[in-house]
Amino acid sequence: MVKQDIKRRFFYPVFIIFLIMSISWTLYNIAWRIGIPSIHQTLATITGTLLFLSVTFGTLFIYPVAYFRGASLKERILASLINPFLWATKENLRLLISFSFSESLYYYLNPLSIWLLCGLVAQMGIAEIFCRHLLKKRGEAVRVLAPGPLSAIIIGLFLVITLFAWGQGENIYVIFLEGYRKIFGSDF
Amino acid sequence: MDNKNNDIFSKSIDRRHMIKLMGSTAAVGLAWLASPAMAKNLIPKGDKPNIIFILCDNVQYDDFGFMNHPFIQTPGVDSLARDGIVFDNAFIPTSLCSPSRASILTGAYAHNHGVKHNHTPWTGKKTTFMEYIKGAGYDTAFIGKWHMPGRGLPAIPSIDLFVSYTYREGQGSYMNCPLIVNGKHTPPGKKYLTEELTDRAIEFMEKNRRNADGPQKPFCLYLSHRAAHPPFVPPKDIRGMYADKKVALPGEVDSWFSKTNGNVFQGIMMGSYENQYRKYCEVITAMDRQIQRFLDKIDEMGLRNNTIIIFAADNGMMWGEHRCHGIRRPYEEVIRVPLIVRSPWTAKMAGEHRKQMALNIDVAPTILDIAGVHIPADMDGESLLPILRDRDAPGRKACLLEFWKYYPENTPSYVGVRTMTHKYVEYEKTLKPQIFDLVNDPREQNNLYGTQSGDKLLPELKTMMEALMQGK
Repeated sequence: MVKQDIKRRFFYPVFIIFLIMSISWTLYNIAWRIGIPSIHQTLATITGTLLFLSVTFGTLFIYPVAYFRGASLKERILASLINPFLWATKENLRLLISFSFSESLYYYLNPLSIWLLCGLVAQMGIAEIFCRHLLKKRGEAVRVLAPGPLSAIIIGLFLVITLFAWGQGENIYVIFLEGYRKIFGSDF
Repeated sequence: MDNKNNDIFSKSIDRRHMIKLMGSTAAVGLAWLASPAMAKNLIPKGDKPNIIFILCDNVQYDDFGFMNHPFIQTPGVDSLARDGIVFDNAFIPTSLCSPSRASILTGAYAHNHGVKHNHTPWTGKKTTFMEYIKGAGYDTAFIGKWHMPGRGLPAIPSIDLFVSYTYREGQGSYMNCPLIVNGKHTPPGKKYLTEELTDRAIEFMEKNRRNADGPQKPFCLYLSHRAAHPPFVPPKDIRGMYADKKVALPGEVDSWFSKTNGNVFQGIMMGSYENQYRKYCEVITAMDRQIQRFLDKIDEMGLRNNTIIIFAADNGMMWGEHRCHGIRRPYEEVIRVPLIVRSPWTAKMAGEHRKQMALNIDVAPTILDIAGVHIPADMDGESLLPILRDRDAPGRKACLLEFWKYYPENTPSYVGVRTMTHKYVEYEKTLKPQIFDLVNDPREQNNLYGTQSGDKLLPELKTMMEALMQGK
């Protein structure tokens, strides 16, 4: 595999998903203002779907593209995390409407971000195995089911499922609130 | 002693009450008989009615069959509305669970009882109506969701039976919720919480009836359901009941709305927005089924003619209106709550509606008034009995709206006033103040703040708000 320049192996795949994410987010939030129900609903369905896919599953595109363009493991991981991080940051900034900067920073630890992170770990594992599988098909000597990506899939999926199954996310939300009260204080 | 002696409409009224009734009837003349004011005398002195307060959680005021909802089935609550009196303008001043619950118990605004949001603890410094009513000779029970912040449940000795939970920040869970019964951790008897709480309430009433050594004691029962708080988990046999129903969401939202703008944290993560709404309706129907069972039991036990039932919600609920989900915001869908009072002494007025403004802080003084207990001066609320008796009785002109920001919910603190015709809200920061003409713009789509008509309204609304803040 030829190691392409940083723009092609790192920035472009990230940027493509970023573009889909930001355009769909913008259009989604404009759709309801159009005032024509059929257009609103159609546009919201399309952009909502794209937004969800780009934030949650963008890694499944970014990781393989970066892989085949010669990005290192560190670069692939970083590239996979950038867009979800930006999304989480946008959500955090939303909180500044009511709360302090430090309180909005704590919001990075909210259950949804944790959940998303676990999902990303699993996806990176899946993408890694997929890439290795393609390489092997091309005749390269690689181990497809390596312990690293397999562990990522198992741990990531296990956490995604158990965190949700554990009280539909309510229990982890309770821990998040307890942490908030410990750090920022409460009267009890 | 049997409770039917209280019933003017029952054929089995006893001689003492017949004489009393005839005496009062003769004194005021036959014409007065048709007047609603008659209701005042229908609770004979010395006899105290049983009082039941049923609270549901985060239910929009019109999500009931009697409010012409397109598909929800709520025959139990519908029967309360049919046989009781419905308050069309019932509101909560603070649109968040814990403050609202504290207001119901203490009859005080949140700035007075101190539970400003779900992180500020219940101090117990304000006396609850349950404590006052115990002093008036009532057996008392609090069964269900307490959900006031603090370490564990408070010790309130005047509550004879205290069944609640602290699980998941006091929110509990629909399935297998561990209970605390009079301070003791207790496994649930039934899998579904709403059913378990109903069982406990029935058991309490039966026990109260069995303790008939000497004069029968009246009871006051506070039955507080978790339904319909998210995440919505209906029981198995109701699950999917509304799966084929068409949900008409407000025009400003769409199927993806539950996953955007932070709404995913409102317990509506999975499925489309319409699907979540259907589940919410199923949870309400599940609660209603238990309410129906409970009402049937009251009839079966012969308690109906001496039992007053008040039904309310701690908050309303937004389902996409104003592109918002949940509670907290001062919009009508949140601050307006269902409030129904069914009592034997207003049976002639069954099905009537009252237009006067009623608040959750009125529940405590109303219950004390019913029980013949002096209403303490530190209660901000007012008894609703005069309005129940007389549809033309004067009501309050306005109520205070107050909210303190609550992490991590993204609503700034605000203060406002809601009159019978207008609403004014000032936010702590970021958001522009709002003035709505509720008569001509009931959906609150047109903010008049900064407009000519808004400028005209502003001084009076501000004066009213400030007066309410000062307790005037």
